[in-house]
Amino acid sequence: MTITNPDNAVKAPASSALSVTDLEVVYNVRGIPREVLRGVSFHIAPGEAYGLVGESGCGKSTTAYAALRYLPRNGRIVGGTVSVDGQDVTAMSNERLREFRARDASMVYQDPALAMNPTLRVGRQLIESFTLLGQSKTDAEKSALDALRKVRIADPERVMDRFPFQLSGGMQQRVVIAMALACDPKLLVLDEPTTGLDATVEAEVLDLVRVLRQESDAAVLLIAHNLGIIRSLCDRVGVMYAGRIVEEGPSAEVFDSPQHPYTVGLLRALPRRGVRKTERALATIPGLLPLIGSPLPTCVFLDRCAIASDLCHTTAPPLVAIGDGTGRFSRCHHVDRIGEIQETPVSVDIAMLNTSAKGADVLELTHVSKTFHQRNLAIPALVDVDLSLGEGETLGIVGESGSGKSTLAKTLLGIEAADEGGSVSLDGHFVAPLTTGRSADEKRSMQMIFQNPDSALNRSWTVRRILMRSVEKLTGIKGDEANTRVEALAAHLRLTPRHLDLKPRQLSGGLKQRVAIARAFAGDPRIVVCDEPTSALDVSVQAAILNLLADLQSEKKTSYVFISHDMGVVRYLADRIAVMYLGRIQELGPTDAVFNGPNHPYTEALLSAIPNVDGEERVRIRLDGEIPSPANPPSGCVFHPRCPRAMPGVCEVSEPPLREVEPGHLMRCHIPVEQLIELQRPPAQG
Amino acid sequence: MSESDQIEGNPESMVSTPAVDVIIPATPPAGPSERRAARKENWRLIRRRPSFIVGNIIAIVWVTCAVLGTRITPHDPLDFRAKPHLSPSSEFWFGTDKTGRDVLSRVMAGARDVLKIAPPAALLGVFFGVILGMLMGYIGKRVDIILSRIVEAFLALPVVLIALLAITTLGNSSWVVLGVVAVLFTPVVARTVRSAVLAERDLDYVTSARLRGESKMFIMFKEVLPNVSGPIVVELTVRIGYAVFAISTLSFLGAGPPPPSPDWGAQVSEGFNSISAGIWWTTFFPAAAIASLVIAVNLIADAVQSVLEAS
Repeated sequence: MTITNPDNAVKAPASSALSVTDLEVVYNVRGIPREVLRGVSFHIAPGEAYGLVGESGCGKSTTAYAALRYLPRNGRIVGGTVSVDGQDVTAMSNERLREFRARDASMVYQDPALAMNPTLRVGRQLIESFTLLGQSKTDAEKSALDALRKVRIADPERVMDRFPFQLSGGMQQRVVIAMALACDPKLLVLDEPTTGLDATVEAEVLDLVRVLRQESDAAVLLIAHNLGIIRSLCDRVGVMYAGRIVEEGPSAEVFDSPQHPYTVGLLRALPRRGVRKTERALATIPGLLPLIGSPLPTCVFLDRCAIASDLCHTTAPPLVAIGDGTGRFSRCHHVDRIGEIQETPVSVDIAMLNTSAKGADVLELTHVSKTFHQRNLAIPALVDVDLSLGEGETLGIVGESGSGKSTLAKTLLGIEAADEGGSVSLDGHFVAPLTTGRSADEKRSMQMIFQNPDSALNRSWTVRRILMRSVEKLTGIKGDEANTRVEALAAHLRLTPRHLDLKPRQLSGGLKQRVAIARAFAGDPRIVVCDEPTSALDVSVQAAILNLLADLQSEKKTSYVFISHDMGVVRYLADRIAVMYLGRIQELGPTDAVFNGPNHPYTEALLSAIPNVDGEERVRIRLDGEIPSPANPPSGCVFHPRCPRAMPGVCEVSEPPLREVEPGHLMRCHIPVEQLIELQRPPAQG
Repeated sequence: MSESDQIEGNPESMVSTPAVDVIIPATPPAGPSERRAARKENWRLIRRRPSFIVGNIIAIVWVTCAVLGTRITPHDPLDFRAKPHLSPSSEFWFGTDKTGRDVLSRVMAGARDVLKIAPPAALLGVFFGVILGMLMGYIGKRVDIILSRIVEAFLALPVVLIALLAITTLGNSSWVVLGVVAVLFTPVVARTVRSAVLAERDLDYVTSARLRGESKMFIMFKEVLPNVSGPIVVELTVRIGYAVFAISTLSFLGAGPPPPSPDWGAQVSEGFNSISAGIWWTTFFPAAAIASLVIAVNLIADAVQSVLEAS
């Protein structure tokens, strides 16, 4: 290990496609310049993919935008240089900059729908990207068709004729990528390119990017909060914290043996390698991200670091080269002490939870269907769902958008009435289909935690009022006694009394979600439906919320219906998992059984689509086509048109029943389970 | 001098989110004093807008005239007589009208007639509009369809004719004018409130309220109403301006207070026929008074709107 001077630690290779050196950016917030980037340096070689990771507010998007000098009006580059293919971007005139953006660099944004003009046909927009480069109309048209073929769009002529809204999210993102590649850029910046997409679609887009990388020698700068995506796509990764890169190196090495306390914290916060709530609590990083623009004279991570020493308080850590100096760096004084960072032990209560057998059924759904009516069209969003939920059990529900997860939640809570013929029962008693018909006690027993705490909390109420109202309404307790209960509830969720008198917008995302959880628990519910409760949060905050949910459950024997698209999270928290597709349960079983297989072919595809931060190799199963409209479901097994294992003559004829293939493990598939086991055996063993 | 240069003070309360990535991770916990500071900050931003300052200066002039009335007019607006149709001079700044009354005194005194009716009329219209809009937006379905049709039908009617018809039928007391203006405003306000409520209705806090069994009334007026107060405040300010305009129009058409009253609309109407004879001042000054008040109120509304929408 050698300690080098920070200024020349990361030497710009002679031929880097993107070279960022000591970049400093400030945002002017009401007249006060606030430092967002505090000297960011990294270099990307032609054809290389570089990932930037870090939690929201760390400056990764700002870095990406600054690379194209595309900052918001109040943003300003105050130091350092950015050069793309040898051209200094920071010194360009506006005219030159426009030329540069048109010819040398491209950007793909998170939401493809916003990146296209909704009123113009796809073809016209795509052709424009080529005419802009000086091609004639006919040449541009030819190039546009080629570009669509290049991004694996099967029927380019037809797609050219469509409007953006007529394409699915995955197709839209392909078109946007085609536009970005039109100029054969030296630098391609991808800012969360798959965040809004479903898992199987995301996998397709990532596959595409992977293939395109081999075809062009553009340098790729990828911003993603999903570390699995970075690992599967990037050669090297930079971990950002508070406007500085704190660790850099080849992605596999950084993720397998992190050498900075922040990276360690970030990775331990993730539910990975199939860890379960009964094995250990997720690690959280204590403290908060420093405010934008706060002075951080020494190490940026100092306040939250477990191994900080006196030296860290006085001297800014230099970039330390690790190993043989093959481009691995950590900005830490104590790289040799990384191993001292403690794992979080599991609390005893949760460990007990594992041994206790599944309690009596609290909730039972029998033949629950929900059909929406639009004009004269019947749209079955939920078809004949049978489910039960034991006391203290967590049932994970997974599936892509449109699979009926949220409808299921709404129907069992009584926000939507189930169709005639289905029933919801609580502790063995039938309950009314709608909340309005349910008794106070039944309402108290079933509560919900929502995905987005900003929308779930009334922004003009204080936290105290929000909790007070729920306590009064759900328990009947009033006045001072209710206030005492509110304070106890808040304390239980680690909210301080000071938080009670604030409004939601004055709280961070994690605190808001705590308030929402406190509200759901105001009346000691039997069942809590959690609808993607952590998908809007950063990983370290997600870890704290998941730990909290596990703690509350072990203490109060609450049952959870846990909806999520994040398989790692579901695996961590759920005891059983239901996989849904087009409003039907396709597979239902204990978590281990679902993750170890045999699986329904849809589950198999879903599991194989997840980019994994641990770098395990999985056989990718591609799904062709798009999720069919629920209004017009395919005949027979609804999954057959996309199923890679469909048996012609059987699957499109009749819908398979949900059969038990092993104790407690149910599947809706015609293929005999023995055959599935055979088919799904990992190739290494077979 | 740009706005941002003028602002100093507690930096914590002023952190706002730039367009990109930068999310303020956590507002440091702070007491209610910070909330008050935020409100004060809003108020300070409003006060600093030039349109707010100019609008208020004009409005204050007219409110002073309305409150003090004959105590500050140079002459009695009703009984004082000089020679008729004297052009503006150092003695009679705005000249005299056809019966020799001082136009300046009458314009000053006339402010009271308008300001007595316009704000309450706007307030009443907004009040009913909020209730109607809330029902349309929150209850939705058939209630919305039926009420929306009624509102649309109402908006399609020729407003002035309806108002005149109502006033001739019911008599032209201030109460009737007030009521008529309020009723005319109700559907317009209802439409604004409806669309604001529609955006709120699908938010999860409403679902959460339903899950704990809150009544529709509670959800509409305790949960949703505070969150749509921004557009309602803006609507109220804008409506006061329109009310001034509407009341003056009605009195111009003869549906206002009876003749000796120094009402602006009535004065314009009285002097109107003499314009062709070159006697412009009996019409110009009351008309300018109407215009200045409407503009003043709109300037204030503009300032309020831009600050409320930004925050």
